[in-house]
Parts: sequence; C-alpha cells; structure tokens
Amino acid sequence: MNRVKTTKLLLWLFAGFAAAVALNRYIFGLGVTTNLNDQTPWGFWIGFDVMAGVALAAGGFVTTAIFYMIKREEFHPLVKPAVLTAFLGYVAVIVGLLFDLGLPWNIWHMIIYWNPHSPLFEVGWCVMLYTTVLLLEFSPVPLEESSRYAKIRNFLMRFRFPLVLLGIMLSTLHQSSLGTLFLIMPARLYPLWYSHILPIEFFISAVALGLMMVAFETLLSHWLYRREPETELVGKLCKIATWVLGTYFVVKMTDLALTGKIGMIFNGSWLSDLFIVEILISTLIPAALFAVGKLRRNSTAQWIGSAMVIVGLVMNRIDVGGFAMVGGAASYTPSWMEIAISLGIVSAAILVFLLVVEHFHIWEIRPEDPQSLPEVSPSFDYSSRTWLGTPDVSSLATHSLAFVLSFAVGMAALSGKRLHAEGVDSIVVRPATGVDTLCINGNRDNQFVEFPHEAHIAWIKTHAVSLTIDGVIDSISATKEDSCTFCHHFNLPGERLSNCWECHTSMYSRVDFFRHDWHTSARGANLKCDDCHTPGVTRTAESAKQCAACHPAYKFAVNTNLAKPAFYIPSYVDAMHELCVACHKAEVKEVKGKPELALCTSCHKTGTPPELRAGMKWKVSVPHYDNVVLPNVSTVEK
Amino acid sequence: MSKAILTDVTKCIGCLKCVSACKEIHHLGADVPRVWDKNDGLSAENWTSIIAKPENHYVRKQCRHCLEPACVSVCPVGAMHKTELGPVVYDSSKCLGCRYCMMACPFGIPRYEWDKAVPHVEKCIMCYDRIEEGKQPACTEACPENATIFGDRSDLLKIAHTRIKENPHKYIDRVWGENEVGGTSVLYVSDINLDFLTYPTKNFDTPLPEETVAALDSVPYAFLGMGGVMLGLNWIIRRRMKLGGGPNKKDGDSHE
Repeated sequence: MNRVKTTKLLLWLFAGFAAAVALNRYIFGLGVTTNLNDQTPWGFWIGFDVMAGVALAAGGFVTTAIFYMIKREEFHPLVKPAVLTAFLGYVAVIVGLLFDLGLPWNIWHMIIYWNPHSPLFEVGWCVMLYTTVLLLEFSPVPLEESSRYAKIRNFLMRFRFPLVLLGIMLSTLHQSSLGTLFLIMPARLYPLWYSHILPIEFFISAVALGLMMVAFETLLSHWLYRREPETELVGKLCKIATWVLGTYFVVKMTDLALTGKIGMIFNGSWLSDLFIVEILISTLIPAALFAVGKLRRNSTAQWIGSAMVIVGLVMNRIDVGGFAMVGGAASYTPSWMEIAISLGIVSAAILVFLLVVEHFHIWEIRPEDPQSLPEVSPSFDYSSRTWLGTPDVSSLATHSLAFVLSFAVGMAALSGKRLHAEGVDSIVVRPATGVDTLCINGNRDNQFVEFPHEAHIAWIKTHAVSLTIDGVIDSISATKEDSCTFCHHFNLPGERLSNCWECHTSMYSRVDFFRHDWHTSARGANLKCDDCHTPGVTRTAESAKQCAACHPAYKFAVNTNLAKPAFYIPSYVDAMHELCVACHKAEVKEVKGKPELALCTSCHKTGTPPELRAGMKWKVSVPHYDNVVLPNVSTVEK
Repeated sequence: MSKAILTDVTKCIGCLKCVSACKEIHHLGADVPRVWDKNDGLSAENWTSIIAKPENHYVRKQCRHCLEPACVSVCPVGAMHKTELGPVVYDSSKCLGCRYCMMACPFGIPRYEWDKAVPHVEKCIMCYDRIEEGKQPACTEACPENATIFGDRSDLLKIAHTRIKENPHKYIDRVWGENEVGGTSVLYVSDINLDFLTYPTKNFDTPLPEETVAALDSVPYAFLGMGGVMLGLNWIIRRRMKLGGGPNKKDGDSHE
C-alpha cells in the first residue's frame, strides 16, 4: 500500500469536510457552528488552533537556536523541515483565527489601532512579525530551484543570522505572552492552572512541545516515505526535551507549593483529576521514559513519548483556553463542526507540507515511496543533481474526488435551519387554560400570565376602540357590538373565533403561517402547482392566488400582513406582547389613574398557576387545521 | 466629574421598568431565550436585567463601568474605551471580534451576537449619548421608586454611606463597587450579599489590569535578554571552535 497516497487521501477528506463547515460558519455565524456561549466565549478554536498551534510551531525557533546559535551541527537535517513546519503552523494559526474571530476581515485593525496595554496586541504583532521572519528564513529553499533568483537568495542568505536571532527573540515574547493573556482572569481560571508565572510556564512548555513536535514530525515523515529513521538524532532531541520537561515540572510544582495550592491537586474534583492526567501525559511519563538512555534511542519509545508530550501540552493549552474556566466545562463542549474545522486546517497544513517536501530541497534525498515507485528514468536537474524522477506520491483524480465527496457529505450534514442559527429552541405553544380567567403559559414553565378574559370582554363592550400596531397590523377596531374580533383578529376556515396558539404555534420564533408543503402533499390538499400559480408566470408568493380565493370561509377580521410575500407571523410571545402591550400603553395614556397597566408584573406572574395545582392534566396537542372545510378544488374558479 | 449609578436593592420592587426603558432607548430587539444565554437575564438584546432573590429581593445587573476596566485594558484594538464621564463605551467599527473583553470582565457582562454573521459585542453604555447631553440614563429615569439613581460618583458614595449610617440595621455595611477591582461606576447598597454579581476572587480590591502590568513591563527585557543570551552563547561557542580548531568555520550555513 502506498502510505503517502493513503495519508493524503485521508487529509483531503478532512479538508473537504471542513470546507463545507466553513461555509456554514461564514454564512450563519458562530452561534450555529460552535458551542461557544456567553459563559465560555473562548473554546476549542482558541485553545487548539491558536494557543496549541503557536506552541506546536515552536519547533522552528528551538531548532534554529540549537543549530545556528549553539552550533550543534548534527541537527542540520532537522532545520529546514522544522522551519517549514513552523511557518505552516503560524499560517494555520492565522487561518484558525479567521474562523474564530467574529469579524475576521478586521484582523488588520491591529496594525492601525494600537492598545499596548493588551497582551493580545503584543501577541498579534509578534505573530505577524514572526510569520514574516519565518517566510524570509525559509524562502531561500524554494528560490534555489532556479538560478534566476540567485541574487535574491544570496541577499536573503546574508541576513540569515540576524533573521534567526530576531525569530528567536520574537518567539520568546509571544510564546510567553500567550500565558500573559490569562493573567487578567484570576477569578475565572481554575487555581491549578492560574499562576503569576504563567508566561514563564508557557514559554518552557512551548520549548518542550517544539522539540517533541520536531521529533514526532521526523518520525512521521520518515515512516511516511519509508526512509531510514534518524533514531540517533531524535534521541538527542529527546534528551534535551527531558531536561526541559523536568524544568517545567519543577517550576510548576514549586509555584503551586509556594502559592499554597499544591493540596488542590488531590482534592478529587473533576478539574484536579484533569490536571493530574495532563501533568502525567505531558510531563512525568515522557520525561521518565526519556530519562532512560536505552529507551530514548528506541524508536517505539520515541513515538510514544513525543506523542504523549504533544497530546498532553495541547491539552494544557485547551484547558487554559476555556476548559478549566469557572463554569467552562459545564457549559461548553466543542461541537463537531468546531472539531471538523480544526481538523481541516491541520490537514491542509500537512498537505502543503508534503507538497513542499516533495517539490523542494528540504531533505538530502528526494522523498518517494520505494514500494510503489514505478521504474522511471532519472531526470537531471541542475540544482539537485542527485534526485530521481517524479515520485509516485500523488493522485490528482482520487484526491480531487475525495475532496469533493467529503465536501458534499459535509454540506449534507449541516442542518441548514435558520432557526438553529438564531439559537432558539423550537417550542410548540400549548394552549391557555381556564374559563373566565385564562392562564396563559405557552411553554409550561413556572411563569405565566393571568388574563381576565371576561373582564376584557366587558371593557371592550363599553368602548369602541381602534388600534394600529406598527408593522404588524395596519388597524384593528372593535365596535361595541363586535367585541370579539378586536383580539381574535383572524378566523381559520370553519371556525368563528380562532385561538391565538392555533396560528402562532411557536413560542419564540416566527412561523410560516401558510403551509405550502401541506397544500401540495397528497395527504394534504393535494393541489397541483397550476391550481394556485398562473402557468407561464414565475411562481412566487405574490403571483399566486390569494388565500381567500379558495377559502371563502376565511375571515380576515383585520388587514393583517398575510397577503405579503412571506407568510411569516410573529411568535406567540411577540404576538401577545404586540397586541396586549400596544393596547395597554394606549390605555395608560388615556386614563391617568392606571399606571400599573404598563407594568410587566401586572400581568406576568411567577409560580404554579392555580389550574396546575388542582392536578389538572394539560391537554398538549391541538391538532392544526382539524376543522378546515376544504373547498372542492375543481369547482373553484380558475 | 465621573458619573455613576447607585442602586439600592432594598428599594427595588422588581417592576422591570428600567429594563423596558433600556430596550426602548437602544432599540434592542425582542427578548428571545437563546441556547447560548447565561442565566442572569443579560443578553445581546438585554443590557440590564433584574435578578430575583428570595424574600422579594430584586437585584439589577448591568455593566459596572469599572474605574480601571479589564475589558478596556485587554482589547487589542482599543474598541473598548473608558470615557471621562464614566461610561465604558464600545466602538464596533474597531472591533475584530476576539471576545477577549468577555473573557476578561470580572463581572461577566459583555454579550455577543452569536446568531449574526457580522456579530458585535453588546453591553450597557450608561446611555453615554444622553449623559453627554446632560440627561440621565434611561434606566434611572424610568425607575418609579428611585431605587436606582444617577449622579456624580463622589456624591452617590456619600449618599450610600449616609443611607447605611442612618439605617445600620437595614443595610449591610458595605457599598458594592466602592473598592472592588479598583472601584466601579455602578454602586450598590443592599440588605443581602451581592457577591454573586462577580466571579469569586481573592485579591478583590486591586484593579485587574495590574495583573498583567508586571508581565508586560518585562517584555522589552525578555526580548533583548533573549537576544543577548543567544548572541553571547553563539560568541562563546564560536570562539571555542576557533581556538580548538573546530570542524568548520562556516557561518551557520553549512548545508551549502
């Protein structure tokens, strides 16, 4: 089996799926895509994409420091891949931010609007600068492909040392400043994670994570392209990492001990257990593993150890970034869409990495998959004389298909409901109860409205009123004889006085009053298109026949907006408020002595309504349109 | 001349007139319970809310307009701004939507328009435009019981302490907002404990922005320090190589 192709296939699948979810994010917003909420406004994307992403990309500055500054020449084979990983890592962080930011098109505002008091401002600038530095550090590699760019390349090479130095300095800043972000939240971040030396802890752990990321990436790419594993070199990385992890552990524990929080580790709470697991995976077990010289040079142990550090420290960033916040874990778990996007970004970054590795002189030997490599005649390229012909590592057709297919699956998985994006739970309104005094409680919670129905009838009978409700009802009026239609402004066919909840069926969301699908379905009215729409004319709500054409029994007591293109009517709550409040307000203006009419609490009551106390069973469902008298379609005038 | 609001919990009758006045004046939309709401009544459409507590206690929750606001100090583009008059206001044209203000606020006040494709942060701005014109905020104007009043912060503090002094048995001897997180422009006197309005914190009286000052002040030193350390190391190692006749004298560019 061709490992490279299979891996790429998987990555393309993830990327395609994420692309579909990305559309959802940008069209409908954060609410429907993420599980973020007002309690936990930062979640998986900040924790994983941004904070863990930056730390994972620390390999770039750590490796260049070891190679260029401390002059450990044996690490040379790791430098170029590490810088490439770092660059792609930072690009991925920025792409991740574009998803997480509410107004991503304003990301450049940090350049013109300055607030130096903000740690995030500092991080933002550092990331911008360092990404540029990484690009300049890396660009000599693609530039060497052609002699045309030799001048630019030589120019860049001359500045390599200062660039590397600047990169290390910038990394020191923002790796630690990511910890500074949380210093202002002493109340929100759980004490085991909160510390005044969080920036220092973040920096040390970033160094460890960077080292292990380079080790893991070396192991992985060598496995992928079936190359001879560089166990010796990775072993050396692990040795350095042992020291760094040891320092991290000592610093963290000393800080906890000095601030008197060490006892909290074993207090048995959910978060303290999480902390123990995190420390074990990220620090203790791998450090112990790598402390043994034999294991450190064993490639299986290297795999396990480096993977543990990566998982553990990524966990640390996610915990600090939202999970270990007060109420964070209780109110927030990442949605599948958040995870899909993050996975997609990582996949895309890896795909670009593989692409660059296959096309440019990153490694000493051009990568290939020897098992699947067909016989190709060697091609001689002046810049890379020893390389062989095009390796069999890509499959345009399969991978394109994978992307498109998973994109389609992603689109199908999205709910596509506008209501969902508004964050409203769809609650079907249940009828009011009682006779003379109605208890209005559409969602059956412990708040209800006491509505003296008889008293209102009596009032209207003695007054002649008319009322306009802006944007909803043009005018309703009641004479002394006809008091009912003032509120019962619309009658369903076959009914005299339809109840509020029969049309305003949803508690908080507007509803489509006209049920198109019911009219066309065989089990409903079974109408053909031409029964309502004029043939040859574009079928729209405006050009269709009006309701009254088929429903002569419909009584439009008032001139509602039913004839308008969308048959949307307000939610139950809005409908009640609009009608009741409008009238009450008018009445308060007229009659000075009744200020309580304008108060919310004069109608809204809290507690168990009397009907419920009596043990009365609520009748839940009022079947819609049960009493519709359907006109005989064939006899209706065309 | 910093303006402030003083809310007397013992006087509030929970009529919600402040809430409706706020909604009206800022044209906030209909109140719909959303899945992302925190259960304190505040939302993008509700900048102030009344929290009912046992025995007919009603506590109004709103932005506290801290004297040294955490949200202002953390905003990377300065979209949050503490005005001289007292209110902390928000400039949506600068905002990039990072939501750091929501994370940093010790009272958990700012709300986000999660349902919008172009979302903004929403919070009480103490009717800044009205205050500038010399009027008072809509909420204090609407209060029928004078439970929530508007004025200069120093005057309101005096009023608060006078009320406590005159009725020591009625009130708890504390003005909420006088010292918390360095003081806030929304003050409370109460006969019940109001600590539920904030996240629990130990160093309660220091302004939160001070927590980051030490770290931010050391930024230049860390920057230059790391540069110095690296250069120093590099110099020592190179010199050693030279003296010891090291394997190469290439300038960090040995892969050529």
